[in-house]
Amino acid sequence: MTSRTRLPTIFLAPPLLILAALAFVPTAYAVYISFRNRELSRPDGSFVGLANYIDLFSDRRFVNAVGVSLTWELVTVTLTLLVAVALGILLFEFASARQRAVLTLVFLVPVILPRVSAAFVWKFAFHPLYGIVTYPYKAITGQPLDLLSNPATALMTVALVDVWQWGLFFAVIVLKLLETLPPQPFEAARLDHARPWEIYLYVALPMLKAPLISLTFIKMIESLRAFDLIYVMTRGGPGITTETLDMYAFSQGFIESGRISYASGMAVLMMLATTVIFTVIWKRVKP
Amino acid sequence: MTSVKTLVSSIAYACLLASSVSSVVLAAECSGTIRVLAQPRDGLTLLENYKDEFAKLSGGASFEIDYLNENDRRAKTKADASTIGKYNVYYIDEANVALFASAGWIAPLMDYYPAEYDYADFDPGRQKVATYDGKAWFAPLTGGGDLLVYRKDLLEAAGIKPPTTLDEMKDAVKKLHQPDKGIYGIALRGQRGSGANVWRWMPYFKGFGGEWFDGNEPKFNSEAAVKATETYLELFKYSAPGTQTGGWDESVGAFTSGQVAMLVESTPLVGMAIDPKSSQVAGKVGYLPPPTPLTGGGYGHGLAIGTKANADEASKACAGLFIAWATSKENEQRRLEANQFSELNRTSIMTSETFAKLYGPDLGQALADTGKVTAVNFWQSPLWPDLGDRWGIILEELIAGSRTDIKDGLAELEGFAKDLVARSQ
Repeated sequence: MTSRTRLPTIFLAPPLLILAALAFVPTAYAVYISFRNRELSRPDGSFVGLANYIDLFSDRRFVNAVGVSLTWELVTVTLTLLVAVALGILLFEFASARQRAVLTLVFLVPVILPRVSAAFVWKFAFHPLYGIVTYPYKAITGQPLDLLSNPATALMTVALVDVWQWGLFFAVIVLKLLETLPPQPFEAARLDHARPWEIYLYVALPMLKAPLISLTFIKMIESLRAFDLIYVMTRGGPGITTETLDMYAFSQGFIESGRISYASGMAVLMMLATTVIFTVIWKRVKP
Repeated sequence: MTSVKTLVSSIAYACLLASSVSSVVLAAECSGTIRVLAQPRDGLTLLENYKDEFAKLSGGASFEIDYLNENDRRAKTKADASTIGKYNVYYIDEANVALFASAGWIAPLMDYYPAEYDYADFDPGRQKVATYDGKAWFAPLTGGGDLLVYRKDLLEAAGIKPPTTLDEMKDAVKKLHQPDKGIYGIALRGQRGSGANVWRWMPYFKGFGGEWFDGNEPKFNSEAAVKATETYLELFKYSAPGTQTGGWDESVGAFTSGQVAMLVESTPLVGMAIDPKSSQVAGKVGYLPPPTPLTGGGYGHGLAIGTKANADEASKACAGLFIAWATSKENEQRRLEANQFSELNRTSIMTSETFAKLYGPDLGQALADTGKVTAVNFWQSPLWPDLGDRWGIILEELIAGSRTDIKDGLAELEGFAKDLVARSQ
């Protein structure tokens, strides 16, 4: 009997230990190293207390990166969800079963594409001289359109690619979710002369509240990891207008300075902020 | 006489024995795979066709090259060398040789470079940038200075003489700039980075008399830097679209696709511009040394021996043998035959008859002339990449227009430089 009750522990303990080691060892080391002044080019380093954290708040690039990251989260999560819901409803409302099957496949392609490849393809598509996206503008106005070099449009242009990847994928999920809903509430709403948009706004979407919130969280976490996309398309430029926190931390750690303690300080702050913010939002919106 | 003969023959036998013993030792030690982290180079791709030759030479060793583009290669080599040290050979360059050497991430090359491969045959400019603290650290794969490369047809049509001074170049750029016809006056580099926008800005800075440091005291916040930046920004008004956040690829791509009238770029551009396979303007290209007072940006990239992955002397020797073979006269001759102009570094190759036959006397002359104005424009210090990259960001902000005050930017860089020097001490 005892051996039977112990069985789950025996099976679970090793993987949990491995997972714990993988998760906590680097985290603990990042916290430890953030209190030191370790640089890649020097093996030594000393304890500096909170100096890295204090320096961060007077660093204009850090303050800028916080703003860029927040904008990025807000824009990509909101747009992805809006695109997903709108396209999902349109497919559900107007597409036949065969059309849905084909479009579902098409909509899945962008997200299957590796991020770096997608970023290169779009970077080229947005090129002011040879890009297919900017070509019509150039043909009509005679002027090149350089969206990625313009501080006002660069972040939004990269966000567009993110939304293209995830918005279409989520649209498929929304469609599948709509297909699982029972038809009775829809019929009842129609009997009450509800217009189609009212049916979706007041009947279908409230019924999908829980999965939509989950999708929002998934996208929020995913958006935090947009490093590859931004790195390939703009490298944080022009200037620092698309430099997110993870990009700046990587720059400080490896590209420019080798200041890994300083970069770890940023990573620790990011981790704390993310944990706190996600916990608060989760508790508030929990369905 | 007999005794002399005996002596000579015994010395010869001894030498033969010694060499066969050393090759046996080498054969025994050079097994496995030599891992190389590099950036894409035609010369290295060509080298991969001769793996068997290296296996025979080394006694069974092979090599594997991982490629990353320039900025990523810099970041990854730094990360690898300072942590796990997976790579036996690093592709490094003039900008980070000081950092790699002073941090002990690479070994002095000449300690492991077989003498018969003749290091002294490399172009003296390239040897100079490969040297730090009196020692050579890498064997060059590419390098050179700058050339003003222009479209002969466009200049002739507009009746403009090829510019030899900066003022003449500015005038020519303005006159030739016709965006409605798809021709842009110039192509500059806007992308952040000590090897990107800063690299192209430095000839103006040094040309106007700018200096980076006097000892540990920053000197760059000067009239020369302001004037250099103003000139660079003024010229950027005529730079091809896409170059505002672009680097070498964007500038060169715009020129070779026929959309740029002239540009001052690193010498390998010529090889690409005159090759019909990579250029739509082949046959219409002229070249001159950079206009006065611009200095040429002397540079060199090459292969160095990593210290972490090569923990013992034998593995360092194997890495040294690989580097020597990869940059040998034989392999360079193959690159010349494959028309890989930018991959040539040896004096014996560049003064060869084949070279003259392939590229004509004009290019040889232009290269010789530009050699006279080629200089080390950057600050030769392990701290240089850090400082250069920071200025790259400020410069990119100025180019993109998200910042407008040049003096304020330089003051910010000065503060950063003082902090950097203080931290390093």
